[in-house]
Amino acid sequence: MDNVKSNQKRIHPIRFLKSRKGQRASIIILFLLVPMTLLITFTYLPFEKMIEFSFYKMKYLGRRTPVGFKNYIDVFKREDCFRALYLSLYYMGASLIQLVLALYFATILSFKVKGGKFFKGAIFFPYLICGIAVGFIFKFFFTRGFVLDTVLQAVGFDLDSLPRWLSDTRINNISLAATSVWRYMGQNMVLFIGAIMSVDSEMYEAAELDGASKWQEFKYIILPSIRTVVLLNLILSISGSLSAFEPSYVITGGTAETATYFVTMHVLAHNTKKVGLASAMAIVLMGIIILVTVAQKLIFHFIFDNDSDISKGTRKRMNRYLKKQEGGNTYE
Amino acid sequence: MKRKLISIALVFVLCFSLAACGSKKDNKDTSVDANKENTQTPTKEPEATKAESEAANDETPDYSMTLDQIELGKYTDITATIKFATHRTDLVDNGRFAEYVAEFNKVYPNIKVEYEGITDYKETMDIRLTQKDWGTMCMIPTSIDKVDLGTYFEPIGSYDVLKDIYNFCDDKAFDNVVYGLSSTGNAQGIVYNKKVFEAAGITSLPKTPDEFLDCLQKIKDTGAAEDPYYSNYKDDWAISQWNAHIGGSTNGDPEYYNNILPYQKNPFGPTDDFTGAYSAYYLIYNIAARGLCEEDPVTTDWEGCKGRINRGEIGVMAMGSWAVTQFQQADSNPQDIGYMPFPLTINGKQYASAGADYCYGININADEVTKFAAKIYTKWLVEQSNFSYNEGGIPILKTGAYPEVLNAFSGVEFIVNNPAAAGEEDTFNAINAESEMNINVDGKKAQYVFWEGFKASKGESAKTLEELMAEFNEAWSDAQASLGIEVKY
Repeated sequence: MDNVKSNQKRIHPIRFLKSRKGQRASIIILFLLVPMTLLITFTYLPFEKMIEFSFYKMKYLGRRTPVGFKNYIDVFKREDCFRALYLSLYYMGASLIQLVLALYFATILSFKVKGGKFFKGAIFFPYLICGIAVGFIFKFFFTRGFVLDTVLQAVGFDLDSLPRWLSDTRINNISLAATSVWRYMGQNMVLFIGAIMSVDSEMYEAAELDGASKWQEFKYIILPSIRTVVLLNLILSISGSLSAFEPSYVITGGTAETATYFVTMHVLAHNTKKVGLASAMAIVLMGIIILVTVAQKLIFHFIFDNDSDISKGTRKRMNRYLKKQEGGNTYE
Repeated sequence: MKRKLISIALVFVLCFSLAACGSKKDNKDTSVDANKENTQTPTKEPEATKAESEAANDETPDYSMTLDQIELGKYTDITATIKFATHRTDLVDNGRFAEYVAEFNKVYPNIKVEYEGITDYKETMDIRLTQKDWGTMCMIPTSIDKVDLGTYFEPIGSYDVLKDIYNFCDDKAFDNVVYGLSSTGNAQGIVYNKKVFEAAGITSLPKTPDEFLDCLQKIKDTGAAEDPYYSNYKDDWAISQWNAHIGGSTNGDPEYYNNILPYQKNPFGPTDDFTGAYSAYYLIYNIAARGLCEEDPVTTDWEGCKGRINRGEIGVMAMGSWAVTQFQQADSNPQDIGYMPFPLTINGKQYASAGADYCYGININADEVTKFAAKIYTKWLVEQSNFSYNEGGIPILKTGAYPEVLNAFSGVEFIVNNPAAAGEEDTFNAINAESEMNINVDGKKAQYVFWEGFKASKGESAKTLEELMAEFNEAWSDAQASLGIEVKY
């Protein structure tokens, strides 16, 4: 140690660069330089600008007048902004269904299944199509007398009793949310499969020896082992459903009361050119997403204990069981 | 080792290809510079001298002549190449432009015209124009402010002179200088299928909003067409076609749109005589509320509806005259497509909004001879090519013939909106954006009115037309207040 210290005292810039430490530092800096420059130029600077814009009444070109918090007050006062957020509930509901389905398929496909690879590919495939194309696919899918109606008629539905999937306000937001389930379920599934793969297979064997059913295996082995990924997927899909844009924008053009928060923002920013107001909307949305994410984290913290492989509830039950059996020796 | 060699080779290839790109660009730049020098020192200009020597027996034309001074049929020795960027990719692809050029070359064999069709025209041209050598002629993008016209485009004459010869001159004029003439004029009206009207027993075209709705009702009752009216509700731009009637067709006053509407109190009515934007919204709302439109308006399909109106499955659509030729060519019944003026009679007279289409612009950076050739071509296009007639538009030359499509418009006065008073050019745009009415910007408000009507037709709770108009009036008043616009009317 002393030797190193004395070396550092009469440090020489070139010798420092040649030393192991110096090389490590220079490589770290050089490698970080590229992503950091990109990140700052394309993420943080525009974001900082957007915050600035949100305090102005402005168009893209022309005069800018500072208006203080007026834009933010408007966001909360306007009818269309928050009614659009209410539509996010449809997408949130859909994303929960999507996670359950993804988890279901992931669990099945993680074990040996006939044609497993094909199904994995087939379910993941929609994620690879770009959102605009998905929009066009579903525009025709839902059109009267097209794919969906034909299929339903083939299984015995009467065309007259079928709703108009995109024009009927009782159902059109559900139709749109369903398209995002179709698109993103595969991605969630792949993440789940990856996590499930990392579960030690000996655990299943041990569980089977103990006579555990498949459901119990899922509940006590798989789910607790992959809860980090479940949490991640949940956060991603909830924030994704708050910022849903493509289905509504491409399929219905935001018409027929399907304009989500993002579509409303887009119209304000680009058709009406109220850039300040739209920026404020974006920042309010970001605030909401942060709140939701923190709330989710907290809720998860209560359900699962982060320090153990087994959930709190399970541990309590096990402890109770052990107490009954052996009297006192608890499982930690 | 092998892999290493391959990767090194790849790196080299990439580097060289990049270098090649760079040097190519350099070449281009220098050639532009050379051009520039040529224009600055006309003595060095090879083309000019060539043209002069060839035109020795003819008098040498003054290249700075304005469009009114140019006489077509003269200066036939001019040699030049015109590179023409256009948004009409359809006419480039089907060879129509080539036919026009062949016709032009009968008189001017040495002027070569090369058309380039650009999809995504607006965005592409905005970028291209920032370079000086974008070509010789183009359709002036609408995004260029009038103040800036002079930096990109060659003046072709003075407004005072040209306005007596051509229609829609003021569209690309600034400070009494005209920079471009329109390729054709669009009239705003309503497309209908003549056969459907016949089958429904409609003998005369409707002249009031209620007559119009009765016609649609008849079509529905007789089952003459599947959809009496096709709204294209989902497509913002399509339903926004109703906006174009505001001012001209709905008021018959060229001053209204820019000089009255921004200063008007409660411009959205309801008005007893249906004047103003109210008539357009009245029609949109009632078409939807009485169930005269398509049943599933959110899944409308623009490409599909062109053929359907041609075959008589759709009765009526509100579209600009530019759409007529497209509907005629969509299927095998072009003779059935008719065009009628907006169903509103003001003091016994019908009016129709009209306006310029894209205008021909000439690159100010081109050399003198080419610019002169481009002026000749512009004049020929506007006066002798029959372009606007073939496109079913209003002729640009005041004495030009109106196409057959606009026959129903005889006795109807075309209204071109007058520009705003000096110093007030931005007022309309400002209030339009501030109130979020977005008239002629998007169709969101038309969609809104339609949707409330549609909900009413289904028996769901919906806003009445009066409530909607009150809402619009309030937005307009609020915008006037916040922008400090004086309410004068």
